[in-house]
Amino acid sequence: MRSEIDVLTPKSLDEALNILHENQNGVRIVAGGSDVIVQLRDGVIKTDKLLNILSIRELRFVRKEDGRIHIGALATYSDIVHSQLTREHAWPLVEAARQIGAIQLQNTATIGGNLGNASPAGDSLPPLYALDTVVVTRSTAGSREIPIEKFFLAYRKTALKPDELIEQVHFSPLGERDRGAYVKLGLREANAISIVDVATVLRDGSKKDTFAEARVALGAVAPDILRARGCEEALTNKPLNQEILKRAGSLAADDAKPIDDIRGSAQYRKDVVASLVFEALNQALYGKK
Amino acid sequence: MRVEKTVNFKLNGQPVTVKCPPAYTLLEVLREELHVTGPKEDCAKGECGACTVIKDGVPVCSCLVLVSQAEGSEIITSEGLVKDGKLNPVQEAFLDEGAVQCGHCIPGMIVSASALLMHNPKPTVDEIRTALSGNLCRCTGYSKIITAVQEAAKNRRH
Repeated sequence: MRSEIDVLTPKSLDEALNILHENQNGVRIVAGGSDVIVQLRDGVIKTDKLLNILSIRELRFVRKEDGRIHIGALATYSDIVHSQLTREHAWPLVEAARQIGAIQLQNTATIGGNLGNASPAGDSLPPLYALDTVVVTRSTAGSREIPIEKFFLAYRKTALKPDELIEQVHFSPLGERDRGAYVKLGLREANAISIVDVATVLRDGSKKDTFAEARVALGAVAPDILRARGCEEALTNKPLNQEILKRAGSLAADDAKPIDDIRGSAQYRKDVVASLVFEALNQALYGKK
Repeated sequence: MRVEKTVNFKLNGQPVTVKCPPAYTLLEVLREELHVTGPKEDCAKGECGACTVIKDGVPVCSCLVLVSQAEGSEIITSEGLVKDGKLNPVQEAFLDEGAVQCGHCIPGMIVSASALLMHNPKPTVDEIRTALSGNLCRCTGYSKIITAVQEAAKNRRH
């Protein structure tokens, strides 16, 4: 019964960490609420105590520090869409934030919440993988820096310990020699859960269309976010042309391990991966048509 | 055992204090405790926009906000857009354009459209469509709704 659930609202990060320390396993964190409230109502989450961290203002920021972009766990998608820093240096993430849901959701849903909820269809996750993001967690014992691929352990399972919360993420900004894109297929444009989404980042373009590093991350086609390694290899250190981009698409489809579900069959998803990767790479290199 | 906490916020310009279970949604408290019934509950998962309210200046789904998260906030519902018994330009335009059929989605539409015009007084049709993309109308009245918002934007400038 939701009428029997207590909600603790700390005023500071320290107070929140102390509550987590004292209530290990007994408290469920809620940030923007867009996943947790639905799961509470559906009975997926059973708890008698919620820790409402939305009030911790120090966790809501987007800033550049030590040459990296830092995004606080409580930054909303609207914050990411409107920040000059992310628009200039993390545009695949901005594109995901714009498409994650309608304005109402962008105004409340947080990036930390998307990480904590750990759904393979979490739209901010492929761009964060493609940007080679580090997740910073905090507890009373201190903080940990976890590469995003080590943060997600399995379907809906993260490396977050019961006394920890997500403090922020950081990554190296995209610059003039880098390219990137995010492409999503949902059942409609607004408020639709992804059938497949793809983020790509190509870094360090030394000659025209030759990149030293390629990352292609696929969402909603495996129990967690997938790096398409074969595809990435095919894109690295050689001049890219349409033939290579097309082959990269089919290699990514080979890597995908989708399931049949209400939003699409496994075979359909594989076909979509091939087209979306091709499309994302074209957008990254030549802009949106 | 039922838990109750006191929450304070500003609703349509007036301070309110309500004692209620802290894990109730803002929407439940608005409708069932405070009897403000403009916002509606339909999907209860942030997909339909019928529960849209303005929270601290931006539109949000009140079904996805815990009442505890409204502490200290300023909340505006469609009721609060009426000033001294006078409808706001968006509300007027919805009537003038016949943008209302069954009416169920309209308070949410009007709140989203009013929030848009607060931030962007001269929106393009695309901007109006994007701003309303989280509000579903099952009477398929979208084209008149879009026209109404365009008219409201013109009237606001007069």
